[in-house]
Amino acid sequence: MTDQVIYDRGYRKYDGPRTGPSGARRAVYKDGLRRVLGLGRKARYKIFPWVLITIAFIAAAVFIGIHWAIGDIAESLGEGVPSYGGLFDFYSAIALLFIAFSGPQLIIPDRTKGVLSVYFSRPLTVDGYLTSKLNSFVTLVGAFYIVPQILLHLGLALIADGGFVPYLSANLDILWKVPVTALAFVALHGALIFPLSATISRTGIAAAAFLGILTAGSGIAARVAEASFAGARWASLLALDQHPRIIRDRLFGDTVDYPAEIAGFEWWVSIVVIAVLAAIGGVFVRQRYRRLA
Amino acid sequence: MGQGNVVEISGLTHDYGEVVALKNLDLEIPSGITGLVGANGAGKTTMLRLLLGLLHPTAGTISVLGADPQTTPLEVRAKVGYMPEVDCLPKDQTAADFVAYTAQLAGIPSREAKRRSSETLFLVGLEEERFRYLGDFSTGMQQRVKLAQAIVHDPDLVLLDEPASGLDPEGRVQMLNLIRRLGEFDIDIIVSSHVLTDIEQTCSWVVMLDAGDLLRNGPLQGFDELGTVVVEPVTNIDQLVQAIERRGQEAVRDNRQIVVGPGGHEIEEAVVAAAAETQSGLIRMVRGSSSLEDLFLQKDGTS
Repeated sequence: MTDQVIYDRGYRKYDGPRTGPSGARRAVYKDGLRRVLGLGRKARYKIFPWVLITIAFIAAAVFIGIHWAIGDIAESLGEGVPSYGGLFDFYSAIALLFIAFSGPQLIIPDRTKGVLSVYFSRPLTVDGYLTSKLNSFVTLVGAFYIVPQILLHLGLALIADGGFVPYLSANLDILWKVPVTALAFVALHGALIFPLSATISRTGIAAAAFLGILTAGSGIAARVAEASFAGARWASLLALDQHPRIIRDRLFGDTVDYPAEIAGFEWWVSIVVIAVLAAIGGVFVRQRYRRLA
Repeated sequence: MGQGNVVEISGLTHDYGEVVALKNLDLEIPSGITGLVGANGAGKTTMLRLLLGLLHPTAGTISVLGADPQTTPLEVRAKVGYMPEVDCLPKDQTAADFVAYTAQLAGIPSREAKRRSSETLFLVGLEEERFRYLGDFSTGMQQRVKLAQAIVHDPDLVLLDEPASGLDPEGRVQMLNLIRRLGEFDIDIIVSSHVLTDIEQTCSWVVMLDAGDLLRNGPLQGFDELGTVVVEPVTNIDQLVQAIERRGQEAVRDNRQIVVGPGGHEIEEAVVAAAAETQSGLIRMVRGSSSLEDLFLQKDGTS
């Protein structure tokens, strides 16, 4: 028989470094990423986001494959095979689902499960909390838009007749056009999904409301814009999902006539609409959380 | 925390529109375990939220660990742990992940946060369950996790809002033992509760609130002095009552007993002297009314 002793470890004091409010914000940011991706959670929380991410990557791979099969990038573009701008369009539906999933996941559970009462008892302000959540959202959704584009870019460079490096150096503009387009999508969609998530208590309902506003709203706005009453053209701006696409088309040279363009609005009006929506959404969410804290 | 007051409050008033939650309170809370008692709606949670700087007082000043939670709330919150009464656990996270996360929120670096999470969950008796999801926890286990997140970052002061709420008798005893144990680790604690026996079992100092008014603020043992003494004499009961009253004590005959007081130890001295004067032998003399509950029902205390 051996001598066995049960040790009581008691309570250990901590006198090491403390990261302060910046550490708290970083913790919220990282938790946001983990929450959306289902990391540290049961398997069922991982399925939906990772299926969507996989599909987005597959889309980029398919595009590269089509260009490779045709053999000549210029020729394939001439035959209407989509490139950078087209890839945005191709997986925009998938991206919408990802946003409809990730926005509510970032915001709603903390509020409905009462966890905010713990967060705000720590050295964390409402602004710090919301900024960290927004950063998580921008990182995830931005990456969702940008990473497949980078894959496409590198893939096209690999199959380019002129060689890898010459292709990259001849297409340096892609390095800013893709992020700017992604930012337009993220800003518009974030301006919708954050206020909805700050108001609605169920993630599924918030996601449905987001998708409903973008799809049904765009259709209704387009119909109203075609009406003959005074000021009807302004209704075309309410087709919200067109605005990042108008910016994308402006940057990549694609031409699709959206309701706002048909109504005679310049492309920069879409930038204004996105900026105004983002500002209104930000103020609304901030005010709401100041009351909750 | 060493000597001195952990909380100092002066002229504190807080209202929610027409409802006044706290009325012109002046009090000091020393190191140790302090009970914040009062019925539901007495203003306990409001006071805790004021101490954290989550609410702004209508009037008055507050000092927590030497800092003003109104002007430097983040400084205060970095040194304070808080266990809310309400449900505050994400059901889809493991206990270890959640407690480590709350440690990081308080500024503990990631690796150290994970280590302290394990140690703290061990301390509250959840070492075996720490990798289970919080949604699978019983109420008692959830309360322990709430306590763990309140102490994981080594705070100087811990605010516990109804920590035994919803627990069965056994769980309640275990939670109170845990709180007493934290006091042994030199952590200052303010425990809010409407269950007076919980406070009697755990605290050395008591702040008693009633509908926003301060009923009493002082050491728990001092509360004994507001109790009554029950005396059972052998003979001359009426004469003994008169003799006690002549010595300035309130005395009421109840069949063969006399209830004297309330008051401090001067009661016993008066009874002994009166018994000697009236030749009344005493069968017994015991402190009858000494619990917080009696005092709360009397509501005659002053701070």
